[in-house]
Amino acid sequence: MFNFGTFLQLIVDGLATGSIYAALALAIVLVNQATGMINFAQGGMAVLAAYLGMTVGNLVSPVAGVTLGIIAGIVAALALSYAMGAVVERFVMRRFMGGDPDTAVVATIGLLTLITGLIGLIWTYNYIPYPFFFTGLESMSLGGLAVSAWSLTTFLTIVAIMLLLQALFRWTKLGLGFRAVADNRASSALSGIKVGRMLQVGWGLAAMLGAIAGVLVAAKIQLVPDMFDTYLVYALAAVIIGGLDSPLGAVLAAWGIAVVENLAAAYVPFVGHDLKIAVPLILMVVLLVLRPQGLFGRKVVVRV
Amino acid sequence: MSALSRVLNSPRARLAAGILLAIVLIALPLVSAPFANQTITRIVVFAVAVLGLNVVMGYAGQVSLGQVFFVGVGAYAAGITIKSEWGMSLGLGGVVMGLVLAILIPGVLGLVIALAAARLRGLGLALVTIALPIIGVPLAKRLSDITGGSQGMSVRVFAAPDWTGLDNDQWQYYVVLALGAAVFALVFFLVRGKYGRAFAIVKENEAVASAMGISPYRYKVLAFTIASAVGGVAGFLYIVAIQFVSPDVMSFGHSIELVIATIVGGAGSIVGSLLGGAFYVLIPQITNSIYPESTTVVQGVIILIVLFLLPGGLASLPRKLARRFRRSAPSRTAGPTTPGAVPPAGEAEDTERQGQR
Amino acid sequence: MTLLELTDVTAFYGPVQVLEGVSLSVPVGGAVGILGANGAGKTTTLRAVSGTVRAGGRIVFDGTDIRGSRPEQVAAMGIAHVPEGRGTLGQLTVRENLLVGAYLRKDRKAIEQDIEYCLDLFPNLRARVRSNASALSGGEQQMLAVSRAFMAKPRLLLLDEASLGLAPSTAKTVYQAIERLRRESGIAMLVVEQNANLAFSIVDSATVLETGRNVLTGTSAELKGMDEIRKAYLGA
Repeated sequence: MFNFGTFLQLIVDGLATGSIYAALALAIVLVNQATGMINFAQGGMAVLAAYLGMTVGNLVSPVAGVTLGIIAGIVAALALSYAMGAVVERFVMRRFMGGDPDTAVVATIGLLTLITGLIGLIWTYNYIPYPFFFTGLESMSLGGLAVSAWSLTTFLTIVAIMLLLQALFRWTKLGLGFRAVADNRASSALSGIKVGRMLQVGWGLAAMLGAIAGVLVAAKIQLVPDMFDTYLVYALAAVIIGGLDSPLGAVLAAWGIAVVENLAAAYVPFVGHDLKIAVPLILMVVLLVLRPQGLFGRKVVVRV
Repeated sequence: MSALSRVLNSPRARLAAGILLAIVLIALPLVSAPFANQTITRIVVFAVAVLGLNVVMGYAGQVSLGQVFFVGVGAYAAGITIKSEWGMSLGLGGVVMGLVLAILIPGVLGLVIALAAARLRGLGLALVTIALPIIGVPLAKRLSDITGGSQGMSVRVFAAPDWTGLDNDQWQYYVVLALGAAVFALVFFLVRGKYGRAFAIVKENEAVASAMGISPYRYKVLAFTIASAVGGVAGFLYIVAIQFVSPDVMSFGHSIELVIATIVGGAGSIVGSLLGGAFYVLIPQITNSIYPESTTVVQGVIILIVLFLLPGGLASLPRKLARRFRRSAPSRTAGPTTPGAVPPAGEAEDTERQGQR
Repeated sequence: MTLLELTDVTAFYGPVQVLEGVSLSVPVGGAVGILGANGAGKTTTLRAVSGTVRAGGRIVFDGTDIRGSRPEQVAAMGIAHVPEGRGTLGQLTVRENLLVGAYLRKDRKAIEQDIEYCLDLFPNLRARVRSNASALSGGEQQMLAVSRAFMAKPRLLLLDEASLGLAPSTAKTVYQAIERLRRESGIAMLVVEQNANLAFSIVDSATVLETGRNVLTGTSAELKGMDEIRKAYLGA
């Protein structure tokens, strides 16, 4: 029995979850544009940032009150993740740039393992609550739909991020420099652009995006070291479907994936909650076979 | 080259070492404790799994995160066949059928997936393969009627036959060792021959390969199919060694651990596969007895150290040490390469590359 | 007054030695050509100056030893390199490419004026100012590359094979514009060119390279008069 209200609800929830995928996907696209690498550790770095935010927040709250604690936690998560991104680029990834791309991928996989392990070591593998302004449960009624404060915040956050990034890249000098480096590193250096600095900015910004996603997810489902493993796969699928070099494509694909997955879980009997992840993955495979550059990507010209 | 390294590298020395190793391996279980035998058995199981992954990653240069999926499918295929009514009625034949299906089903799956995915750049394949364990685990849990669900499925049919006079763990050891050695030998001859050379060319430069009439697509599909079939064999051996299979075998975490083990052992190397199997089994065993929470960190640290200092993996350590000793002799140094400076277009083969050789 | 001085410059690509000892000097406001066959080391010489390739020997720019500097640092000193293959930033528009050229500058108004100047120098670019650079033809990309280098207001311009891949008439147009640029701005130039005729249209002197070292140096007039040059490079 088809209930339009339920249908809309599924879409709304999909857009919210999809925004998380979108944040991670944007981070992956950003890093890929800057350095040509796919960072498998993007999710792991996001989780670490969230844990650090929680720790800072818990340190500040007893002293300055809960709200300030939460804000301090967010600020800490953002600042520390930027630093982490820049440091990882400078001291780890730079070594593998210009070499075999598969080695770079394995390096990021190693990084993911290390980060997850460190988190488990320091904070244990148990679930830890993340203090936030609200949990994932409170909801309000918008036109007959239950929209949780979390869903709304998440969706609006990703939209705001997209607009900010767009503004940064189109209208600022830093953005111009970044795009130049993404286009042609050697040539940009000849115009005096400090390439290394730009790469660090790219990784730092990407890490911050991940941190935002991490904080939001943690607020909803609590912190646990491997919480972004599945999200990473979704984000990668979104990046592939949207096209590796299209930020907008990645975000749209992320939303699309989340919505389709929800609908499939609800309306296709075999696909339940546990198998719904198969849906975007199969979509991704099908799309890759038919159109390797993704929906919005440029056709890759292989320069011999 | 010093006299010592000349001796160490000679084919005769290598053969002697191989024979010595074989003798040790064959005699060992008769004198050592069951736990040690079981550990070595498990090492061989995962060495085969790593070997399969090496075919596609090390030799053909494609990152695959789906190898544990094929191991799991092989294990389930074998287990289900052996435990089925038909399988039980065949006795030993059931076990053989189990092995055959453990090769065929993953192999066919691998073929189908490769046909679709091999056209993608290396990264696309990595992403498609990552989907396999992610889908595989919930699927295995869901199909609980045939797979036993998340509880897993036990397959206790490998008790040592009476005529051998061996204990169970010794029997399993020999079965796994024999089959494992057979697979290693097969793959060894494969990569020695024209296929191995073709893989190497495809890995190095696909455009050159096409120009030479070697279709990168075909060879990638071949490599992937072989890898999945070998993974299936590893799955069968897993059943022999552990007598149990559960969805956890194919988890995302294990998938990554296997890739790490492959690189640490030495991608593209037969010996490296053995070392990789050892890494996969021994590290958790060691850390769990000393400091269980540290397993993941240790794995992460080791793979990063290997990538930074020893990209060829542990298998390349003797070579690297030999070169270091050779370098202490005075020689004409070539001029500085261009670290930090961006390599000019077209000079790629001369720049320092972090490739897997 | 010497602006750029190369003394016994060597360079390797990995283990292969490409430059075995190249020397030349460029006076302030002067233009020097580097001629020679393929593989002689002409491009490598420019790369050694701009820091794209690590080199040995002495490279002194305006009294400062710049050998071993990174490309970003060399650019900041006032050397603009138009590389082989042009290095246009395909995903950016023509205008954005020019702005990248002026990346290190802060004088907004002057930058806009200079953009105007470039579009005036190369009218083809004006029509395409908002197009992505990848949509431009080879000749237009060369014009864009030269303009972008000019936007940095350099004291020395390194031009690598500006005529490569261009139809003869287009190449001539480009070189005429470069000549005008030189006249009106007084920028010094080091020009690598296989087409010696074009090179001689803008340089006062030149050196000929063969397998990584100088074999002939002289003023344009002297070189044009030599039989070897005429036969080998001028098609006479």
